[in-house]
Amino acid sequence: MDRNALLNQMLYRMEEVFWHELSDCAPWKTEYVGIDFIQAQDIKGKNEDEVIRACIERIKAAGLAENIDYAIGGNGILLKLQVRGCQLMLKETMLRKGGIKPYNCPIANMIRDQLIEKLGYETTYLADMAADEKTGHCALKVAIYATPEKIGAVSDWSKE
Amino acid sequence: MEDILDIMTSRKSIRRYNTDPVPDEMLDKILEAARWAPTGENYQPWRFVVVRNQETRNKIGDLAKVGSGSRMTAWYCLGHMQERFAGIKDPVKRAEVLRFMYSGEVSEFAKKAPVVIAVIGSLMEGSVDVPYDLSAAIENMLLMAHAMGLGGCWVHGPVATTRDAKKFKEILGIPTGMGEYKVIAYVSIGWAAEQRKYPRPKKNLEDLVYWEKFGQKERPRHG
Repeated sequence: MDRNALLNQMLYRMEEVFWHELSDCAPWKTEYVGIDFIQAQDIKGKNEDEVIRACIERIKAAGLAENIDYAIGGNGILLKLQVRGCQLMLKETMLRKGGIKPYNCPIANMIRDQLIEKLGYETTYLADMAADEKTGHCALKVAIYATPEKIGAVSDWSKE
Repeated sequence: MEDILDIMTSRKSIRRYNTDPVPDEMLDKILEAARWAPTGENYQPWRFVVVRNQETRNKIGDLAKVGSGSRMTAWYCLGHMQERFAGIKDPVKRAEVLRFMYSGEVSEFAKKAPVVIAVIGSLMEGSVDVPYDLSAAIENMLLMAHAMGLGGCWVHGPVATTRDAKKFKEILGIPTGMGEYKVIAYVSIGWAAEQRKYPRPKKNLEDLVYWEKFGQKERPRHG
């Protein structure tokens, strides 16, 4: 049995029905998906670079993705993630075939969780998720707010 | 008896309030209206936490500001907000509206509403259709408030994300277990200090209604 396919099929059905119930609110409700894994990894770091790198190392070691690159821009509130070889790409493919834009990334959820739990970040938000099943590449834009004052620090992310 | 459609069509979401208190008798009628909302299996899952305390309302207002602001800042950075408000032609006014939105100030008004009512639902075993029941209760509350001359607003922002919903529950001492209570929104109540444009644009009925089959717009003759 292909356990990864089974996992993807089950997640797909859960996300499909969740989208059907909540439409664009669904991404807001699924931010805990994946956090149990990363919370068991004893991630350490004194700043966001250290925490993000530690998360990526554990995520790759667990085989959830082959490679993850990141960059921070947009007045310090834009975390860009480039994920390759994600083990959850199949569920995104199935969602898109069903007419639903992929909206929930457990890998991004893990990193968001640790920024909040380990560094006390005020809040985070998965703003955009572009999963390309043909290339196996997923580009994510995550808003990360270290303090409440960071909210409103706007810029043009298309230039990032 | 006043035509209830007049009450429905003249209701507006009110986010600015004056400082006059809301009498207990009026508050009781709003809660009584909620109690009579339709509910699946007559389960009546709704519970209400009525908040007048300024410190608590400040916490709710701050949470709502962060919730809305965090999303709208990102939407602005992606260009979505500019598209949504492109209809405002005056660039100065548009910029101010956009700043009001992405700063989160748009959702901060719990601080100035005399009364905030958290609407939560019991998820205990046997409960069905809880969010729908709560939504019906909220509609009853808003209509009752409006019928008595009060203003109100249905606010989902501070409980939109799972993490924020937990914070909201903690502020009010609601059990935080995901299997216990669902917090769906709060309703702010007070005396209006704003005159909203009326009527707000609504889609035409013919664009919303199909007859006998989905997509069939022509109304059949009968009788």
